Amino acid sequence: MTTVRTFACLTVFLLAGCSADAAPGPVEQIIVREPGAAPVATAASAATNNDPASALIAEGKAAFANCAACHTVEKGAANGVGPNLFGIVGRAAGAVTGFAYSDALKSSGITWTAANLDSYIADPAAKIPGTTMVAGAIADSAKREAVIAYLESATAN
Amino acid sequence: MSKNKTATDKPGKTGKWTRRAFIGAGVVAGSALVVGVAVRQGNPIDRLSPLLTNGENEQLLNAWVKVDTDNIVTAVIPHVEMGQGVYTALAQMLADEMDADWNKVRILEAPADMQYVSDSIARDFLAPDLDVPAIFEPTVTGGILELAQAMGLQFTGGSYSVRATGQRAMRTAGAAAREMLVAAAASEWQVPAGEITTADSMILHAGSGKSEPFSKFALAAAEQSLPAKPMLKSPENYTIMGQPKARHDIPEKVDGSAVFGIDAQVPGMKYAAVRATPVVGATIESMDASTAKTMPGVLQILNMGDFVAVVADGYWQAQQALNSIDTKYSKSEGDSLDQDALFARYATHLDEAGDDGGDMETETGDVGKGFADAATKVEAEYKVPFLAHATMEPMNCTAWVRDGKCDVWSGHQAPVNARQAAADAAGLPFEDVTYHNAYLGGGFGRRSESDAIIMATRIAKATGYPVKMIWSREEDTAQDHYRPSATSRFRGGLDKDGKAVSWDNIHTHLFDPKDAPTVPYYNIASHKIRKVDVPTQLRFGPWRSVDHSQHGFFIESFVDEMAHAAGKDGYAFRRELLAGSPRHLKVLDTAAKMSGWGSALPEKHGRGIAFVPSFGSIVAQVAEVDMSGAKPKVKKVYVAADPGFVINPDGFTAQMESAIAYGLTAALYGEITLKDGKVQQSNFHDYPMLRINEMPEVEVALINGDHKHLGGGGEPGLPPIAPAVTNAIFAATGKRIRELPLSKHSIA
Repeated sequence: MTTVRTFACLTVFLLAGCSADAAPGPVEQIIVREPGAAPVATAASAATNNDPASALIAEGKAAFANCAACHTVEKGAANGVGPNLFGIVGRAAGAVTGFAYSDALKSSGITWTAANLDSYIADPAAKIPGTTMVAGAIADSAKREAVIAYLESATAN
Repeated sequence: MSKNKTATDKPGKTGKWTRRAFIGAGVVAGSALVVGVAVRQGNPIDRLSPLLTNGENEQLLNAWVKVDTDNIVTAVIPHVEMGQGVYTALAQMLADEMDADWNKVRILEAPADMQYVSDSIARDFLAPDLDVPAIFEPTVTGGILELAQAMGLQFTGGSYSVRATGQRAMRTAGAAAREMLVAAAASEWQVPAGEITTADSMILHAGSGKSEPFSKFALAAAEQSLPAKPMLKSPENYTIMGQPKARHDIPEKVDGSAVFGIDAQVPGMKYAAVRATPVVGATIESMDASTAKTMPGVLQILNMGDFVAVVADGYWQAQQALNSIDTKYSKSEGDSLDQDALFARYATHLDEAGDDGGDMETETGDVGKGFADAATKVEAEYKVPFLAHATMEPMNCTAWVRDGKCDVWSGHQAPVNARQAAADAAGLPFEDVTYHNAYLGGGFGRRSESDAIIMATRIAKATGYPVKMIWSREEDTAQDHYRPSATSRFRGGLDKDGKAVSWDNIHTHLFDPKDAPTVPYYNIASHKIRKVDVPTQLRFGPWRSVDHSQHGFFIESFVDEMAHAAGKDGYAFRRELLAGSPRHLKVLDTAAKMSGWGSALPEKHGRGIAFVPSFGSIVAQVAEVDMSGAKPKVKKVYVAADPGFVINPDGFTAQMESAIAYGLTAALYGEITLKDGKVQQSNFHDYPMLRINEMPEVEVALINGDHKHLGGGGEPGLPPIAPAVTNAIFAATGKRIRELPLSKHSIA
């Protein structure tokens, strides 16, 4: 479903002016789709591995590429913008030494069960208001499940 | 991090925070020592502290320095890092005055907050001719700061950071912090402050053998009164300034962990590709998005009046869909403008100004009589083109406007301006906008403009969800705020001994700095320098070294032409003109000597010299050029530079080298041209950069000529390179280049 909004008229453009008025909005706005809505007819690639568990872990590893901008998962690897995640599943929050956690996270008292990780990754700021994890939330619950499976497997290895 | 704040933290009746109030607020706030203390009265530390500290175990000693319980000293840097090494140089200045242990110094970029606006830049904007010595007093307060705040400046550019912020703020802050720590220790130990020494972040009392780290007295120091005029070191006592300390930002740029504006990640973020009207000032009359609507990943297609945006799940999808959109534009008065017409327009305006018209910039003596009486007359006209900035990281901005708030992520040279621009675009108060600055993948003046911030904010406001807008390289090249093209005409007179006696110059435009066309250091009896303003619809913007980039070429080419007309060597001729200025002469002589000036060169090789003081630093360059091949090959550049005092020799040398890479790119290839009002260049195939095999070997000599008056480092290395090269080409071939870039000419 495509929505088209047409706005009244083109007036003078205010470029970074002193005016408190907002800069002009769209003259025409075509909304093809809302974010999160299913894209039309694009086939999701199926996991090639027949073992559902390892397929999930592989999927999680692929999805972790986004997380890897801030986090390492290998044992003993350095903290990045975020802390090292080796052994995260089942551990108390704020436990990596040498990482400057937010007070909010440090004092959260949370243990990183799969369920807690799931809700945190879904929306970090909602789970722990004040957390410095401002990026990397995963809206897709299947993807979260895969990432958590991968984190767990990375510790076991 | 500001969660410990309570509503009881109210300012007094005057609207100013008192120091006692800050401390009290922290205690009242409870669980942790949130509090730092402002050195400056009225500094709203309650706002700064949560922005800068982790709340506990850290003391904000003043707006520029904090100390934590591990004895880590953090320098708060009110400038942005765009590869110029400013974090390191400014931290060196603070740490040296504080006697901090360099290995325990950390760096934090100041938030986009009014407290960190640059007073010195405001001064130059507001009152360049005002002679108020008090401003230069090393006190922490300053009335100009108020003006700066009013203007909302927190700007990195103009080669200002070290010479102004560093010299006046960072050093003073470090010295003040040190004195407050010493006072606190003296009070606790019951010994005279004069018997206490400091070194490597330790406080020592030789008589009693006592020694403690800074952190021990951080809280007590915060209670001490502000030293009205902290004692600054003299150069013989510097231990960190003047040292080639390793750059703080290099490791993360090598291992890839550095975060630039384009790396911003926001939950739920989508991507936008944009295309603005090709002729500035036109509007979009119609847009056919019928194909784009069906393309994968596309979420929204926006006609914003002056640009089209496609928002999609991924950047590539957005750009592909954008490419499929057919757009029609309104007629604009710029439509007919092309390159030749523009330079013809410059010529017409210069012709109309004649011998006496235009706006007078500077006049000394009687140029008309000087020229009339001259034994030899020299006349020449020079032209330079528009230039794009071509930052490695294309323009981009991520914005999220929702629930009366706006967050913006980008890399900008003036974060407070960016925040204000976003606020205006979103129609929200300044306070409701949070601006997140990251590293800049090249600035060169381009990132002092807020056009990308405004566009991203407008898109995000329309969508309601976070959007990262990235310009394609084509958009980045064609929608820049360009270094102005210009034409400059000279008439010069020489007396019978071949001495320059008159200098008459008229040129198009003057942007900044105002002294760029002037030559007060050259001893010539009469000067007259004028400008004419010529309208063009292209947007002008500052480009590395700003107007010195054009005028360095104009002036130093013409000086060389006068030398030739006088039958003199270019170096010897400049020596005569600088006879009364030993500091200038030393720089010129150093470069000439390094280059072996006057010694024999292989056939078809030439040396050229150029001398340009700019941004408070004096720079001379000698270029050695090989003209035996199909195009000029710049083999070696010798640089002598006197910025007063070099804070970080390694960083300063790198700035000279990079200015040569940037300036040589422009001299050899740089040219933005117009046809039918549109920029014709689009990407690196038609706007080439210097390749690594074309980079000359660069040798730099540094001179510390006046430690009290520092010059800049980012820009002064650029202006001499183009004329040094063209003067060398003249020496090798006898052909005088009066128009850049060199790729226009067949000279081999």
